[in-house]
Amino acid sequence: MFAKEWRSELRTRYALNTLALFAVNTLVVVSASLGPLGAAPGRSSETLPVLLWLILLFAAAAGLPRAFVHEEETQTATALRLAATPSALFCGKLAYALTLLAALEALVAPLFLAVMNLDVARPGLLAATLAAGGFGLAAGSTLVAAIIAQARGKGTLFAVLSFPVLLPLLLLAVELTRGAFAGGGSQGQGGQGGAGVVLMQLLLYDGAVTTAGLMLFPVVWNP
Amino acid sequence: MPPALSFTQVRRRFGRLAVLGGVSASVAAGEVLLVTGRNGSGKSTLLCCLAGLLAPDSGTIDYSEDGAPMDAAARRRRIGLVAPDLAFYGELTAAENLAFFCRLRGIGRERGDELLRRLELPPDRPAAALSSGMRQRLRWAWALLHRPRLLLLDEPFQNLDAAGVAIVRRLLAEHLAPSPAGGGPSAPAPPGLAVVANPVPLEIGSVAATLDLGA
Repeated sequence: MFAKEWRSELRTRYALNTLALFAVNTLVVVSASLGPLGAAPGRSSETLPVLLWLILLFAAAAGLPRAFVHEEETQTATALRLAATPSALFCGKLAYALTLLAALEALVAPLFLAVMNLDVARPGLLAATLAAGGFGLAAGSTLVAAIIAQARGKGTLFAVLSFPVLLPLLLLAVELTRGAFAGGGSQGQGGQGGAGVVLMQLLLYDGAVTTAGLMLFPVVWNP
Repeated sequence: MPPALSFTQVRRRFGRLAVLGGVSASVAAGEVLLVTGRNGSGKSTLLCCLAGLLAPDSGTIDYSEDGAPMDAAARRRRIGLVAPDLAFYGELTAAENLAFFCRLRGIGRERGDELLRRLELPPDRPAAALSSGMRQRLRWAWALLHRPRLLLLDEPFQNLDAAGVAIVRRLLAEHLAPSPAGGGPSAPAPPGLAVVANPVPLEIGSVAATLDLGA
């Protein structure tokens, strides 16, 4: 499933182009209005993590719902329902979403740091946050995409359903990214002492969403 | 033990529209159940219920292979379906589509190559570039990949030319006959069975019964 998803993607380039274009466009807008010359040094570690995760969220939302919606729209879902076990299908789609998001983060994060002229106090924490946050974003988006695939008004439904699913993830990821940018001097939970706890909460979220996806997907996918 | 399918008082509604109003029939190994009826009479809905793709509102569907009864989830994985709304990945070639489904089903891709040859399909042409007749041949190849015992065929000859009809009739005849290769070293595999839905009666071998859903 994973290999097929990438083969199809590399031939159509739909999600890759959508994600990359959206991410780069928003990055340019953000850097033009709040770039290194426009952001007050004291405020940059407070506001910029929010912007980074908003860029990642909306870029993912532009491309990831397609995972299952496309199967329904092109009527390939019937063949999949008859040939694949739901767990294999969910894991394949999740693995595809994970690698797609990893590629997105690999593009967006260095560009973001460069155009914002940001020094990262704790690069290891930033890498861990991007990895855990990206996993949660991929798992949450895949689960919501599976739920909405057979519904009408898929675009609206994705936004409505993904809000409560992804909100805790975003809050935790923003907090950790603040800690990574600011280093040990941060007063929030992302400071040196609290970062481990918040990262653990993020990992627990990832585990919970993945488990929920594996348990719910067979019910959602099959009649 | 040969496979057998029977269903009793199967009903299905879509909102206020009653599509299936309690239909019953049975079919045994080596036989064909022919389902006829005008457009909208519920033929495709019945096949979807039998395939496990739709849950009937009421009624029972009993299908067993080798004496083991199968629920909807098990039927979904075991049956072979040919249906007009069955589609494949347009950006992948016919051979890549079959290889993908072979892998999902845990069977060697040689089976896909064999069916491509038998159905005279161009292996390297993207599915999106296949003619409607060739797409129907690809549906047949896909349905037969895992050597199912139960074939559910919704308008199986749709869009096929004379050569295509001859090929799939031969494949259907083989499906309905005992397979000398499939039953292990000592015994041949029992014959398969099929449910064929078509708006008008078909000249097709071994029709055990015809279920008319409405003229």
